[in-house]
Amino acid sequence: MRSSEKLAVAALAWALTAAALADEPKNTPAQWLERMNHALTTRNYDGTFSHWQGGRVEMLRIIHRVQDGTVSERLASLDGSGREFIRTGANLACYLPDKRTVVVEQRPPRESLVGFPALNEQAASFYDIREVARMRLNRRDTHVITVAPRDEFRYGYRLWLDDSTAMPLKTQLCDAHGHVIEQVVFASLTLSPHIPDSAFKPEVSTEGFQWLRNGPDPQGAVAAAPAWYALRLPPGFRMTVRSAQRLPGAAGPVDHLVFTDGVASVSVFVEQQLRPSAEQGAAAQSATVGSSSTFSTVVDGHRVTAVGEVPPDTVRFIASQVKAQEEPAGLQRH
Amino acid sequence: MNEELDSQLSAMFDDELPAAECELLARRLSRDEQLKARWGRYAVIGATIRAERGVPLNAALARKVNAAILAEPALGAVATPQRAPISAWRWRKGVAGLAVAAGVATVSIFWLRGQTPLATGPVAARVAAPVQQVLAATPVAASSAPAGQADSYVVPRTPAGRSVVVPITELANYVVAHSAVSSPVARRNLLSAFMTSDPGAAGTEEPLEAARSNAQ
Repeated sequence: MRSSEKLAVAALAWALTAAALADEPKNTPAQWLERMNHALTTRNYDGTFSHWQGGRVEMLRIIHRVQDGTVSERLASLDGSGREFIRTGANLACYLPDKRTVVVEQRPPRESLVGFPALNEQAASFYDIREVARMRLNRRDTHVITVAPRDEFRYGYRLWLDDSTAMPLKTQLCDAHGHVIEQVVFASLTLSPHIPDSAFKPEVSTEGFQWLRNGPDPQGAVAAAPAWYALRLPPGFRMTVRSAQRLPGAAGPVDHLVFTDGVASVSVFVEQQLRPSAEQGAAAQSATVGSSSTFSTVVDGHRVTAVGEVPPDTVRFIASQVKAQEEPAGLQRH
Repeated sequence: MNEELDSQLSAMFDDELPAAECELLARRLSRDEQLKARWGRYAVIGATIRAERGVPLNAALARKVNAAILAEPALGAVATPQRAPISAWRWRKGVAGLAVAAGVATVSIFWLRGQTPLATGPVAARVAAPVQQVLAATPVAASSAPAGQADSYVVPRTPAGRSVVVPITELANYVVAHSAVSSPVARRNLLSAFMTSDPGAAGTEEPLEAARSNAQ
């Protein structure tokens, strides 16, 4: 090939590349969220971050690895409690040194932490998702994405996503009025292709600890159990999972219903009431874990507990709507 | 913990506290668990950051973070109901794959926190504003509901739930089980909150009935 031909080919190649780059669509805000979820669930990373909630700031470390299709994750408090959460595949363990207890839960293999449903058009009806800024955050280029709820049934997010990795470097959870109620900011974050197994060992010594484990899969018991479902739900929420399991320490099987609007999710646990007389005075109970809400009530001799990263009234509403009635058409037990 | 004590702790951590006061504070540290926990946190944060960047931690971090968060502008009022463009929700799966491929090499991100300016006004009250009042009094507008949903409804009033001390092991069950079905960010937030919740407030030592206890 003569030099003039080489030049022409090179020019053509450059032109094609430039045209391709020009046509490359920018990520929409919703695509940024998708990228973020994908990065958080598929990449290997080791980070230290501050967690602010209710006026308290605590430091934690998170290590996440996906290797040969198995997800391992370790989240540890670097402060006083020393609690740790370690997941290895389907095995979830919560170390509570302040209670000298380890809670171990074996999830069904078919369930996966990665399986959170993607955002869909319906979810878009209930949140206003926008990219509001591009800014430098501690020497990294970030896209600031806001997920603002359109009503009071859900919380919103403000996310600073790293331009190159889509990892959320800073996250704020906001209430229905748009005010920050929880914040996570990474102090350090390392994305590494290899994280050793030793990174997923607990630091806490478990000598003399009480171990609570869940029992075998209660398929037989569930077959005879009533079907639980929600009579009504807040707009946009739908049931996506219904499974039966044994929670560590629970005497009987527990029905686990999951409701989601594509961004927020609420779990409802239904278990048979063991001590009805003792629980009469506590028919309606509420509590919070950080910005997540729980609400527990008694329905037809069963304790119904709702947990979710939504406002307290949303879990209360969902829990109050759970009934043991004939199963509506179209719902399948997973 | 009062402000004065916190300041003393900060000064001690920064090696700026006079020797005599150091001795007094050290004595108090030995018998005050809360203070000890705070000191431990400063030490861990400092060690972590120094090891990675050689950057000294501002000892007033907690106060600054609090103030900075309270100074954040609101995310915005509840948005006017309008449907997002449908095209925005047609995902391009390839983008995520490219992101993973691009990140095969090790990437490290380091920085120092607490750079945001301090708050300039008293905004703590608005952070604590209860959603419950709004929710109980305001029906959801029909226009915000998609086709097939009820036109409007009001969240029914239920007997006021009293604050309850949930046994922490039971709470751990629910938190762990729910975390398995949460979105990645929500899961991290939930577990983080549980990891850092006050042991004294989160649970009692009440044993679970019919607990399945196994010695390791």
